[in-house]
Amino acid sequence: MATPEPAAAIQPPPPPADSTSTHEFPLPPILQHPSAAGPAELITQGAEGRLYRTSWLTPTRLCALKHRPSKPYRHPTLDARLTRHRILSEARILQKCRREGVAVPALYGIDESQGVLSMEWVPGRPVRVEVNEFLRRRAEKYPHGEGGRGREEVTRDEEGATPLVGLMRRVGEAVGKLHKAGIVHGDLTTSNMMVRPWEKDKGPVNGHHGDGEDDNAERSLEGEIVVIDFGLASQGSADEDRAVDLYVLERAFGSTHPRAEALFTVVLEAYRNTFKTAPVVLKKLEDVRMRGRKRSMLG
Amino acid sequence: MAAAVEKVELEHLPATHTVLLALYRDVANAGFLQEQLLSRNVDFEYAFVDASAVASRFQLLSAVHKAIAAEMAGISEAYRRYGVQPATKDVAVVKVLISREGAPSSLSPEDVEKHLQAHVQGESVACSDEELAKVTDWPKLRKYHKLNGLPWIDAIKDEAARKSELEMLIVSAMAMRGT
Amino acid sequence: MAPLYALGCEGSANKLGIGVISHDPETNKTKILSNIRHTFVSPPGTGFLPKDTAAHHRAHFVSVAREALKVAGLASPKDLSCICYTRGPGMGAPLTSVAVAARTLSLLWGLDLVGVNHCVGHIEMGRVITGADNPVVLYVSGGNTQVIAYAEQRYRIFGETLDIAVGNCIDRFARTLAIPNDPFPGYNVEQLAKKAFFEPDGTTKREPVLLDLPYAVKGMDCSFSGILGAADLLAAQMRKQDALLASGATLKEGEERITPEDLCFTLQETVFAMLVEITERAMAHVGSKQVLVVGGVGCNERLQEMMGLMARDRGGSVYATDERFCIDNGIMIGLAGLLAWETGFRTPFEDSTCTQRFRTDEVHIKWRTD
Repeated sequence: MATPEPAAAIQPPPPPADSTSTHEFPLPPILQHPSAAGPAELITQGAEGRLYRTSWLTPTRLCALKHRPSKPYRHPTLDARLTRHRILSEARILQKCRREGVAVPALYGIDESQGVLSMEWVPGRPVRVEVNEFLRRRAEKYPHGEGGRGREEVTRDEEGATPLVGLMRRVGEAVGKLHKAGIVHGDLTTSNMMVRPWEKDKGPVNGHHGDGEDDNAERSLEGEIVVIDFGLASQGSADEDRAVDLYVLERAFGSTHPRAEALFTVVLEAYRNTFKTAPVVLKKLEDVRMRGRKRSMLG
Repeated sequence: MAAAVEKVELEHLPATHTVLLALYRDVANAGFLQEQLLSRNVDFEYAFVDASAVASRFQLLSAVHKAIAAEMAGISEAYRRYGVQPATKDVAVVKVLISREGAPSSLSPEDVEKHLQAHVQGESVACSDEELAKVTDWPKLRKYHKLNGLPWIDAIKDEAARKSELEMLIVSAMAMRGT
Repeated sequence: MAPLYALGCEGSANKLGIGVISHDPETNKTKILSNIRHTFVSPPGTGFLPKDTAAHHRAHFVSVAREALKVAGLASPKDLSCICYTRGPGMGAPLTSVAVAARTLSLLWGLDLVGVNHCVGHIEMGRVITGADNPVVLYVSGGNTQVIAYAEQRYRIFGETLDIAVGNCIDRFARTLAIPNDPFPGYNVEQLAKKAFFEPDGTTKREPVLLDLPYAVKGMDCSFSGILGAADLLAAQMRKQDALLASGATLKEGEERITPEDLCFTLQETVFAMLVEITERAMAHVGSKQVLVVGGVGCNERLQEMMGLMARDRGGSVYATDERFCIDNGIMIGLAGLLAWETGFRTPFEDSTCTQRFRTDEVHIKWRTD
């Protein structure tokens, strides 16, 4: 068989010299100045920007500092326009939420030219971690194969599920409050909600939370839901947008906590009672589910 | 007597900047102080703030931070809003010493203290949350920052919790201003 | 075990592509034996209509298939394991023309039929050509705009366009400017955008002007129809300027002269920034550092450059292919079809339909076990 010259496979480009997991990013100018509390700690590196934990004004006041660095791939004019627009939009939304009594981090400072937004540091752990910790404890308590239910789906009526059901209810209320205030989050996940330990009636350790001590396990689900990361949020009260917000959360919840998926109905039930047109939004959610977030596309 | 002027190292500020704070109660010559500001007397390069418009030390430091960050650009606006008036009773004083090109500021904190003690006719107290709380005029603050008509705030029973919410709203509003 | 051979037939849009590919299941080595393409090019200012495109594919199928077989040099068509064809997504009439032809070959030679998802074809081809084993995939063409990542035997769609595809946006804008469709409209838009860096003399450097276009990203989704509308308005304004200047009048004080070059530059800078942004968001989401760009728009050098800058900042790299592979072709259908065939997948004759709508995440990627 005469085999013709095959088209040569293209060699993948060599990885950049600095492509390591400890890739260093330049700090925003504000974090290059001295700080008695020590260097800022990089918490997350999202697509939007980087979130640092650092101090604000005094060494003991913690803050979450979000830096949207300029993107080298973007035209400088477009880059400056987008960065400025997004920083200001996020700041306005935080302030609006705060005024309406929605639990979100307080705004400390903005510097659009640096692309920096400083906020209150919210103590506690994300809902995602709390839910997963609950499921882990449950699996340990009821091991698989011993007539246990550790690997089965959680039901709302099962023994010991009350704290989780309560947490789900508070999640629903928090989202409802946010929507009522005229804000659509745009990226609701269980990672973007913190469980802030109650101010009053605190545990034995004063002001120290979130170290995952198991002796305090049930209490860890207790706390106020604080919604964070409004980088993709917008102002609006369209039922459609609200329904999509819920749908995004529902999908995120299902893929992040498949074993607790059945409890998502609790979130929606609690949401229903938070504002007048919430039932309309829930009706709309059914439509959104039906057509899927994504339409089928043409080739 | 404790020093009348406190030196504060703010986080994430250039090492060239030193912030000095002072608080005077029952000031008798607020009108004189305002005149010095209005006539731009170079010996009185201070921010004289009506302390009744200050909710907390955090709020005051936030304002200082913002003013420094904006290269002092926004400070004249801040004077109008919080600046000393002839009728002002309690005055918070902020002074930022800046060393330039390696040379320290021509003034030392001691110079500033001496100057203030000589020209502010009032009782020097610590610029602490405790002292500031004694003079805060909350109704005025809420009006300044459009914080009336928020029923959920009034529904907070615990006074400290309510004030803390208000303080955060004020700080947020100040951060937004001028953007 | 000897390598297996497959014939791939693609005709979901205006490209008729037929090729022969081989894959050795033991060594996982892939070889391209032939990759023949014939494109239906419509006159400037027009798009390709389904009916005309289908007629084109019918008219050229036999000659392109013969050429593909001849170049491949197989002793007999019976050496093939299967006939692979594009089941969808795509334009109905062109898809059907090629499906009918593929069925005919399958009956003629007594070979299995394998219906292939067009998008999966692009992804598998891109992986083989570039060596990117598990990248986030940006699939950008005239009909699709998707950000995809693999998880548990599916190519999952993380983000996509909420209205028209990015390639459609560019093609339609090319029509607005009446620039030629040969070799393809996006290529000519790219060349015009490059000219924005030079004065009309073609040698003196200048700074291109970024005009004002909307920017429409929502999470990992984006939309392009508003941008197209705004770009069309700017083009209309440019034509008014042309008429005004031709009549001897001058532009209003401070009014900037709009040029086709700056328009193309602006359109590319804007829509590509959106694509890179949603891709970066998906990479952050799944924790990947590799990005693979496939589909016709993927051969745009500026898009590849921008994607590379983003990936570099994340400590990763971009993988892209040239026009032989990123533009619709037959071998990508052959490859994805053959991989499925090796896992036992067959498309029974009575089910060998095609469909305009066929989501990437509907396909069970049985051949990947990672």
